[in-house]
Amino acid sequence: MTTFLKLLFRNRLAAVGAVVLAAILLLALITPILPLADPDVTATADRFQRPFSTGHLLGTDHLGRDLLSRLLWGTRLSLAVGIVAALVAATIGSGIGIVAGYFGGRTDNIIMRGVDMLMAFPYILLALAIVAALGPGLMNALIAVAAVNIPFFARNIRGVTVGLAGREFIDAARLAGMGHTRIILTELLPNVLSTIVIAMSTTVGWMILETAGLSFLGLGSQPPQADLGSMLGEARSALITNPHTSVVPGIMIFLIVMSINLLGDGVRDALDPRLRSGALTRPRAVTLVDRRGNVPHADQKGLLNIQQLETQFHVGPRVYRAVNKVSLHVNPGEALGVIGESGSGKSVTALSVMGLVASPPGVITGGAVRYEGEDLLAASYDSLRRKRGNNVAYIFQDPLSTLHPLYRVGDQLIEAIQAHHKVPDAEAKARAIELLKAVRIPNPESRIRNFPHEMSGGMRQRVGIAMALANDPDVIIADEPTTALDVTVQAQILSLLDDLRRERGLAIIFITHDFGVVAQLCDRVAVMYAGRIVEEGPTATILEHPAHPYTKRLMACVPELGGGKRELAAIPGLPPVVSDLPPGCAFAPRCTKATEACQQGEIDLAGTATHTVRCIHPEEELA
Amino acid sequence: MGAYILKRLISAVPVLLGITIIVFLIMAMIPGDPATAILGSYATPENVEKLNRDLGLDQPLINRYFIWLGNMLTGDFGRSYSLNRPVLDEILDRFNATLILAGVSFVMCSVLGILAGVVSATRQYGFADKAITFIVLIGISVPSFFLGMMMILLFAVNLRLLPVSGMYAIYGGGDLPDLARHLIMPATALAVVATGVIARLSRSAMLEVLRQDYIRTARAKGVDERRVIMGHALRAAMVSIIPVLGIQAGFVLSGSVYIEIVFQWPGVGRMLVDAILKRDIILVQGGVVFVAGAYVFFNIVVDVAQSLLDPRIKT
Amino acid sequence: MKPFEWTRRSLFAAVAGVALAAGLGAPALAQTPPGVLVVGQIAEPKSLDPAAVTAVNDFRILVNLYEGLLRYQPGTLEVGPGLAESWDVSEDGTVYTFHLRDGVMFHDGTPFNAEAVKFNFDRMLNEDHPYHNTGPFPLAFYFSSIASTEVVDDLTVQITLNAPYAPFLSNLAYPTGLMVSPSAVMEHGADFGRNPAGTGPFKFAEWRSNEAVVIEKNPDYWGDPAGTDAVVFRPITDANTRVAEMLAGGIDLMVEVPPTALSEFQGESFSVVEQAGPHLWFLILNAKEGPFADKLVRQAANYAINKDAIVNDVLEGTAEVAAGPTPPAFTWAYDESLAPYPYDPDKARELIAEAGAEGAELTFYVTEGGSGMLDPIPMGTAIQADLNAVGFDVKIETYEWNTFLGEVNPGLEGKADMAEMAWMTNDPDTLPFLALRTAAWPDQGGFNSGYYSNPEVDALLEAAQTATDLDERAALYKEMQQIVHDDAPWVFVANWKQNAVTSDKVENLTLEPSFLLYLEDVVKN
Repeated sequence: MTTFLKLLFRNRLAAVGAVVLAAILLLALITPILPLADPDVTATADRFQRPFSTGHLLGTDHLGRDLLSRLLWGTRLSLAVGIVAALVAATIGSGIGIVAGYFGGRTDNIIMRGVDMLMAFPYILLALAIVAALGPGLMNALIAVAAVNIPFFARNIRGVTVGLAGREFIDAARLAGMGHTRIILTELLPNVLSTIVIAMSTTVGWMILETAGLSFLGLGSQPPQADLGSMLGEARSALITNPHTSVVPGIMIFLIVMSINLLGDGVRDALDPRLRSGALTRPRAVTLVDRRGNVPHADQKGLLNIQQLETQFHVGPRVYRAVNKVSLHVNPGEALGVIGESGSGKSVTALSVMGLVASPPGVITGGAVRYEGEDLLAASYDSLRRKRGNNVAYIFQDPLSTLHPLYRVGDQLIEAIQAHHKVPDAEAKARAIELLKAVRIPNPESRIRNFPHEMSGGMRQRVGIAMALANDPDVIIADEPTTALDVTVQAQILSLLDDLRRERGLAIIFITHDFGVVAQLCDRVAVMYAGRIVEEGPTATILEHPAHPYTKRLMACVPELGGGKRELAAIPGLPPVVSDLPPGCAFAPRCTKATEACQQGEIDLAGTATHTVRCIHPEEELA
Repeated sequence: MGAYILKRLISAVPVLLGITIIVFLIMAMIPGDPATAILGSYATPENVEKLNRDLGLDQPLINRYFIWLGNMLTGDFGRSYSLNRPVLDEILDRFNATLILAGVSFVMCSVLGILAGVVSATRQYGFADKAITFIVLIGISVPSFFLGMMMILLFAVNLRLLPVSGMYAIYGGGDLPDLARHLIMPATALAVVATGVIARLSRSAMLEVLRQDYIRTARAKGVDERRVIMGHALRAAMVSIIPVLGIQAGFVLSGSVYIEIVFQWPGVGRMLVDAILKRDIILVQGGVVFVAGAYVFFNIVVDVAQSLLDPRIKT
Repeated sequence: MKPFEWTRRSLFAAVAGVALAAGLGAPALAQTPPGVLVVGQIAEPKSLDPAAVTAVNDFRILVNLYEGLLRYQPGTLEVGPGLAESWDVSEDGTVYTFHLRDGVMFHDGTPFNAEAVKFNFDRMLNEDHPYHNTGPFPLAFYFSSIASTEVVDDLTVQITLNAPYAPFLSNLAYPTGLMVSPSAVMEHGADFGRNPAGTGPFKFAEWRSNEAVVIEKNPDYWGDPAGTDAVVFRPITDANTRVAEMLAGGIDLMVEVPPTALSEFQGESFSVVEQAGPHLWFLILNAKEGPFADKLVRQAANYAINKDAIVNDVLEGTAEVAAGPTPPAFTWAYDESLAPYPYDPDKARELIAEAGAEGAELTFYVTEGGSGMLDPIPMGTAIQADLNAVGFDVKIETYEWNTFLGEVNPGLEGKADMAEMAWMTNDPDTLPFLALRTAAWPDQGGFNSGYYSNPEVDALLEAAQTATDLDERAALYKEMQQIVHDDAPWVFVANWKQNAVTSDKVENLTLEPSFLLYLEDVVKN
């Protein structure tokens, strides 16, 4: 609850909304004890007094009644009506929605047809007809407003329920012999409650507007009782001559509706778990670069040279050091493997290269990324964009989410080509077919008309590779391109990449958590743990003589062909959270060889020119 | 696709029929009858009875419903007793006006709302975002009739820039610019609320989409950011925006009732309010069939658009 | 399919383009042209068939298109010649002979003659008439006293009544008695209401649904030609919008100006015209049951309500305080000696105490608006406050007009203690006859919804209905007014003064006590 409030108030607009609404609610509550004039006593001779006239802070209305008093009493009534109507509509509508969503099939069909009917009928006319049928009065206006909102709740909640009804816990509850009512009340309802609350929070404001609308049409509270809608309605005839009588209730309606909306937005955001993680923020086109220290000087290592790279995630007050002083380089024709568990920072390192780390929350806080000597982190957006895909291309994991679901794969390929080369469509299309052929997709001419969801995982991954190859880049960064694939397809893809680098002289940075893959493809390998490189060297050397205990443990997880995949969870414990790293070796808490010295001070990468390790008790001494 | 559309059209028929039954029942519950409405102060029981007989209203309700239904199916919507003319003539006269108003307003709120949402999302927490959020909040917090009246006072009465009301100038008008001049204020006033709703939704849909991996892919390909936003992101966001457009179309159609009254727009919404008040059940029925039909039809269009946009939806 | 090609810039360009084309392309707003008078009406007419409509709003158009056998003399409610140049009444008051004006043509080119007159009355009254189905004719009962209409010769027509009926001539001058062209009815049938043809100074030009009804000068009019080339009636239902149109110059003439808006038209460019008419705004009190069964309490209500405040403040001076059941506009029948109940809350409290009705709970039916009801909700609210101030406990129930009539006309018994009501009649007979007699209780088909009953009044009214001598009728009505004033079956609140605003381009507008809007003399510059 406190986190909720904290999150809520972190959103300044929501806080303003909450404060305004609280003030209005408080005023409404204490209205009966305030020293106000009687809201219903008329003094027609004193009608239309302007605001700030003596005795009438907000002036008087067309019958000389005190506007301040009527405003406060009216607010009280309108809020009550709005809230009650929202509650009624929410209860009935949600009930209908849950029943329809839960039972599905014919029940759902019939109920939703009914809901469709009500929605197709203009709601104002429905409300009008209901009030006309029921007779006058605020209570009936309330019923009408609630009734016309029921379909919206029903539709909303049904949608959520349908999603939930197919889930395991509902099946489990059914198997456990729970009755429908009990399942709905104890299993479904708690899960849709937040949706209902959010929908309600926006509806209260809407209801107040709607009652105002009904009183515009002449249906509302009975005189002399004041509610905001009828105040506005009564003042309408004097709108031109005495606008203040309309403006006063108008502003109050505006304040209420706005504060409810602001607060409602805040509540929705605060309840959304993604916002808590900062994930609901929009990634910019380029990762934010905010280098505090000096930029490292260029050293003549490799085609792509990552120097002392530091990338952090700033979430609220917390700082996650996802990449901590990582240096890597890759030469033309070379394949560099970067290996580590999930969360070790290897993907972030890769994405930092072309500024693709989601930002916010990501910030590159130090180091340099040099392509042919040019510091990409200092490059302008436009020059960076021209290199993306053209010089340095990416192959991502899980092509179902990384390919645009609404475009044909051919168009996505053509777009990749045309982003860098002004070529006619026909030529681009021919090139796209060629690319698909190059990644050994059968029938490329017809395949380019496929949508991603119409392809198998392996095919999609090939499309991803084809896309990376589209502009003949010099460097390909492949971020776990085979993780989602089965072993046979994985082997095919790897050999494809291997061929390509030999044929085209590509430099490949291959990110994986799987030593088996590294063994097949890579010349060199860097092992990452908790945002740092803990060991780096030629693949053969490391495979034979792993120096870091972590490397050794990782290698124990190498899957054997046909043996299925073994998970890295084989290492006891979990990787540390990079927001709160202990001093010394980050692996120490999980390491069997750890000593007290391991948890003190900074441990440097050390070793030979080709093989380095960050460990004071290496498995093998590096000469 | 054709078969799908046909199927949807056929399935709309029971919905429309259901609506006419609901309307008939509600109208039957409303006290007062057309004869009283016509006779006004002279509605003596004797006069009322005679007039009801003349109007053919002495039959039981259920008979009247089926007579009406039968006639309607042959294209005869009956004769309005409050307007003393065929219902179909009246509706056709007015339906145009409502379609123009609601249509322009709908295009306005869709384009502006989506645009505002996109700008707001791409400048998240920036000045533009805050400014748009604020304006949008004002938009959805002010009753449209109030806004309409204020606009009349400012732009028509004080500044004399635009005509107060009506659809065409009484003299020397009738062309497209004349219509446009008359449309600006009502269409804007009507669009404001829906613009706000659509802008808010577009903003969150865009934010949701912009975090997706395929946006990163597009950027990694070197696609220009403008194209990333307006092409890749917006297109994907449209998948969740379009259904809301369908719902908002209903709101715009409904909201036109107020606007038609304030701006004296010769549309079908105002006619329906009058018809309800005058207990002109035949006219209400005819109007509702058209309005609901337009709504249902529009929702089919939305669904078709949705399935054209999103190849994953099976039709 | 390719990704969208639209860019922000092109979108902005499109939006700006539309705005420019629409906004700046506009010339200075077209003022209404000279010779064309644009009238802001409160609603779309239902029909332009005088026999088919009931609303004053529609009559405003009709009286310019059609003429009746008789018409009200300018500035009075006394009847004078119209299409009939003269008429004779038989001794017993049942046979009326009308001598028609010669050479009058309907707008469709057919002559107006005795056959046409017969056609008009038969169409309305005779259920076997071939064109009776062009109705219904809701106000046909105005002429229900007609037994037969005979053509004597081409220009003479004789109407025979069932019994003497004093208001008959007045009813002939009422818009229901306007003469339509038989050939046009035959041609258009039920659609005659949209294709009207009469004999008036204007003829129908076009009806653009919900936008305007246009009538133009009738070049063949038998009398003085109309002062304008055309009159456009625009329906503008919302009072605010109507005021805004008037201020913006979109209309030249506006009727039924909302009281609160009158102050907007004080400037030089507008002029306000007023005319008291035969209107009475009153409260029906339930004399059958509850506190108002006691005459003292009814009188107390009359004392308790501050009618001056209502007419001067709530209605901004657009009405005058009513003294009794007969509006002063019926000069000959109105009793000048009658004074309104003064505003005297102390006296009211005394009377209530005397009757023992302190703290009585009263249900008060209020309507949201309706023909002649002025500003019923603010008025009702003010009345409620006044009655509560003298110790009643009044609860208002508001109803939309048609529901309201549906509740009030069948009688207040068992439902309410009081109800708002207003009548506009063109004779002093109708209202008391239909609403004050014992025989007019709701169960007998009348409008005496408060169940007032006084045999003396009944006798006076019956006599006045059949008497043909004006002085005799005047005496009877004056006596009736004294009794009713004292019995106080109603609270007499206000007599409305009809008003209209014109722009400075409009000349010669006069309003008639009949509430009809004759525009033939009006000039538009």
